[in-house]
Amino acid sequence: MANEEITRMEEMFDNLRADRYPLKQYNYIGKRVVRRLDGIRKASGSAEYTMDIQLPGMLHMRFFTSPYPHAAIKRMDTSKAEALPGVRAVLRYDDPELPAVADLGGHQISVEPVIPPIAYFQGQEVGVAIAADSEAIAEQALTLVDIEWEERPFVLDPEAALQPGAPLAMPELSPYGNLFNEGMFDILQLGNVEKGFAEADRIIEFKSTRRLHTWAAPERPCGVFKWNGDCPEVWVKQQRPHIAKRAIASWFGGIPMNKIQMHCPYQGASFGGWSQVNWNMAGHYCAAVLARRTGRPVKWTFTRREDFYGGEMDEGVYYLKVGAKADGTITAVEGNATLANQVWPVFHILKHLIENTRIPNIYGKVAVTFVNKGPNVPTRCEQNANTHTQTLVFDHVASALGLDPIEVALKNDGADGHDMEWLDARKRERGFEVRDSLRECVEKGKAAIDWDKNWHPAGTKRLPNGRMHGLAFTWAHEWDDSAGSSEMAIRIERNDGTASILGMGSDNGVDAENSYCQIAADELGMRLEDVHYNPQIDPGFFRMTPDSSSNMSVNGFAIRHAVRILRRQILEAATRPTASTQRGSFPAAFPDARPDDLDIKDSVIYVKADPSKRKTLAEFVGPSGAAGPMSSHEALGVRTAFSVPLFAFGYHIQMGTYNPEQPRPRFCRQAHFMEVEVDTETGEVLVTRVVNVNDVGKVINRGSCEGQQYGGTYMGVGRARSEEVIYDQVTGVMLNGNLLDYKIATILDAGPIDTILVETGMGYGPYGVVGIGEDVATVVPALLGPAVHNAIGVWIDDYPITPDKVLKALGKV
Amino acid sequence: MTKSPHTSVKHFCPFCSSVCETFEALKAHVLSEHQSESVPTPEGVIRLTVNGQLYQVKVEPEWTLYDLIHDKMGLTGTKTFCDRGACGSCTVIMDGRAILSCMTLAIECDGRSVETVEEIARNNPVLIEKYAEHHAMQCGYCTPGFVVTAQALLDRNPSPTEDEIKEALAGNLCRCGTYPQHPKAILEAARKP
Repeated sequence: MANEEITRMEEMFDNLRADRYPLKQYNYIGKRVVRRLDGIRKASGSAEYTMDIQLPGMLHMRFFTSPYPHAAIKRMDTSKAEALPGVRAVLRYDDPELPAVADLGGHQISVEPVIPPIAYFQGQEVGVAIAADSEAIAEQALTLVDIEWEERPFVLDPEAALQPGAPLAMPELSPYGNLFNEGMFDILQLGNVEKGFAEADRIIEFKSTRRLHTWAAPERPCGVFKWNGDCPEVWVKQQRPHIAKRAIASWFGGIPMNKIQMHCPYQGASFGGWSQVNWNMAGHYCAAVLARRTGRPVKWTFTRREDFYGGEMDEGVYYLKVGAKADGTITAVEGNATLANQVWPVFHILKHLIENTRIPNIYGKVAVTFVNKGPNVPTRCEQNANTHTQTLVFDHVASALGLDPIEVALKNDGADGHDMEWLDARKRERGFEVRDSLRECVEKGKAAIDWDKNWHPAGTKRLPNGRMHGLAFTWAHEWDDSAGSSEMAIRIERNDGTASILGMGSDNGVDAENSYCQIAADELGMRLEDVHYNPQIDPGFFRMTPDSSSNMSVNGFAIRHAVRILRRQILEAATRPTASTQRGSFPAAFPDARPDDLDIKDSVIYVKADPSKRKTLAEFVGPSGAAGPMSSHEALGVRTAFSVPLFAFGYHIQMGTYNPEQPRPRFCRQAHFMEVEVDTETGEVLVTRVVNVNDVGKVINRGSCEGQQYGGTYMGVGRARSEEVIYDQVTGVMLNGNLLDYKIATILDAGPIDTILVETGMGYGPYGVVGIGEDVATVVPALLGPAVHNAIGVWIDDYPITPDKVLKALGKV
Repeated sequence: MTKSPHTSVKHFCPFCSSVCETFEALKAHVLSEHQSESVPTPEGVIRLTVNGQLYQVKVEPEWTLYDLIHDKMGLTGTKTFCDRGACGSCTVIMDGRAILSCMTLAIECDGRSVETVEEIARNNPVLIEKYAEHHAMQCGYCTPGFVVTAQALLDRNPSPTEDEIKEALAGNLCRCGTYPQHPKAILEAARKP
């Protein structure tokens, strides 16, 4: 098929330049969409989540969890549990049907034991899974399991884990010591830091600590597994249903992909989190075995507490040394960090300083250590350690030199050690309009928070209410365009000519589905209400879920290609006869026109030169069963309309900036401003105002972007002020695995939030977009430290910044 | 009056501890002395009104009201996020008050009247539309709890201020951080006739 869009689709896989084919006019793109596709369902309670699934005869499965931070099962007796009325099946770690290992990868292939016999942290799912008539019976049965344990020594602190003589946290996985990556440090280097420090007027050194925090997603990890004969039917709470399906297909000696039916109901959020942890898929594996044994569907669930084991990848201790000239030009940064339990230790702590500054000399050394706590995985997102560092480096430098932090940021903006002149040349050669994104963001943000009036030296402004006033600024690039692949399709329905987008993905709440509909409506010339998308069904196409630091830059291209191919199909089909039958062919809808003579607007095809010649898409596609033997129209000799099936698919794949061989400088920036009041008597910190300015390149769905700015702020404020998963140092047991004792932000925990969107068009995605979903929640947390410093004149580099730390900093405790 | 077959069983009045020989006698006593029909039957059967419909159901002693309405009645709009009264996702309106269904035992709900998000959506579609319009949701798991809390507020205060709305919603947790969008939706819904 000669379709120019197919060539363009293939041309754009490199993602190394500006979008050369944007639309000339936007009707829905960039507008505030009144109709959220999921809005009525979610507000009215009719949206169904995996936790809501109930099937006839369904059993409930729960895992045993370790009471010890490090222990091996020596002997296990499950006979009493098996005898409990209501228990239907018990699956032990030593069950002959369980393989030694299986692919339990939720995000990528990950081969692990399904039920391990050794626990490396308190709360780990080990030993046995029990399916019963109810969750309560399964729970009761677990208390009847009798285990003789071999208790082992444990270590919780990442720095202590590296001390000589420290207990091995995970001896079977890492027998040589607690340093991840076979004892290697992760090194990042640019230029020569010694030279950079020699050029500096001032050396600033500080230590920062980030305590463990976690995702706390509303819907507990869960899933349902049912066998229809030899065909599995699976309901997942999983960000990547296609990866889950791939793992399931590898089980039990192999299950053909086309026999597995997946459902991905609404997702009670993941933020990465559990979706990437093996036990999520282990739940499905055990449920599959027990569903087959009992002949009944099995739903597995974790408790709220069990959801708490695991966290974000920035837990650790950071030592930073910065060299700067008196005017704020940073000459060198050296960072040493010890981070805990990172599952993917590839993101470092100084990467952002390379990606979006001109700092020429950088040396970072990261030790990732095993400790006896849950796995730390990307949790909106893996860049937390980098943004933490960037904020503290810049704000410590500005404070030490007595400079305005905005001026320090502008002075050091750049990329890969090069200045803005170099970066502007890259913009030009890649076809972008040359704009100064950071400067545009800063100007808007300064005006919103009245920076010039409100900024003051640290510890100098006491408010009439007695509290100290603090103001702070930070910045970063927008990185939500990283990588991914996606395939999406679209078809026109018979009878009413509406459009349905196809492609299974996880609807995690960012309203991405509406954004794809906006693109489809604008590109096709349809009314937005005529485009619908249900990503929960499995049509074989797998759309990328907004994750892996990417959404629109991948899915936006996939749907746009599909829609443009479809549009061409429609116009070609409208100008030629269709389907030659015994009664002759169906005439062309526009017999005298060529495809280029036609256009589509408001779901109507019309002749551009004479808009009175028009057919709605419904009239054009015709009814279903138009030419069947029982068609009364046909019997009366009336030819009904009939078009070829109208269906097209598009796809996109990109490596993004994580590809070290093809670096792609990022041009869009974000700026954040925070205002606080600190009560010096109680140590309480009130976040009274946050201004977010995000250069998203091009806005597709305004409400969705603002939602990410609001939501990111609240998650960021929680992470900064109160969120810490606390373990008892003596027993290694988690102390606050619940939402009463682990404090996420409430509506009262932040003052007004400004949501300012800048559109420079300098993103690599379609129409110049770059994403926003991870950026705000990741950048905002570290900003609390500089804000508190500006209020009280003392640095508290230990996050979360709780009242006891404030009082200690003030010398009051 | 028929005598109970379990002659050894005494029936105690839950209001004044009077002893009755039969269950029927207890019911008559409660009705005449306490003007109430709120007596759980010995078999654990309760009668309660949910969304305007009377249910007579047998409940286990450990069931929460959430278990009953979500798992047994299939009214799945009511959710649990925290499981211990910290998050507000399981909020329902009971006899005019917003209460936490995960912290309420079903067996204590005999004679009560409960309104869930499903009924609120039927009765106040404007509130639901405003929620959708203002993106007062992301993953949506906690959203029904907010809607129920908002309706309970509007029932007792039809024209709340933004601060009153925030105070009312302070017990509802939203991990996606949609908080600023709720007062907008509720204020506009309140303004609609």
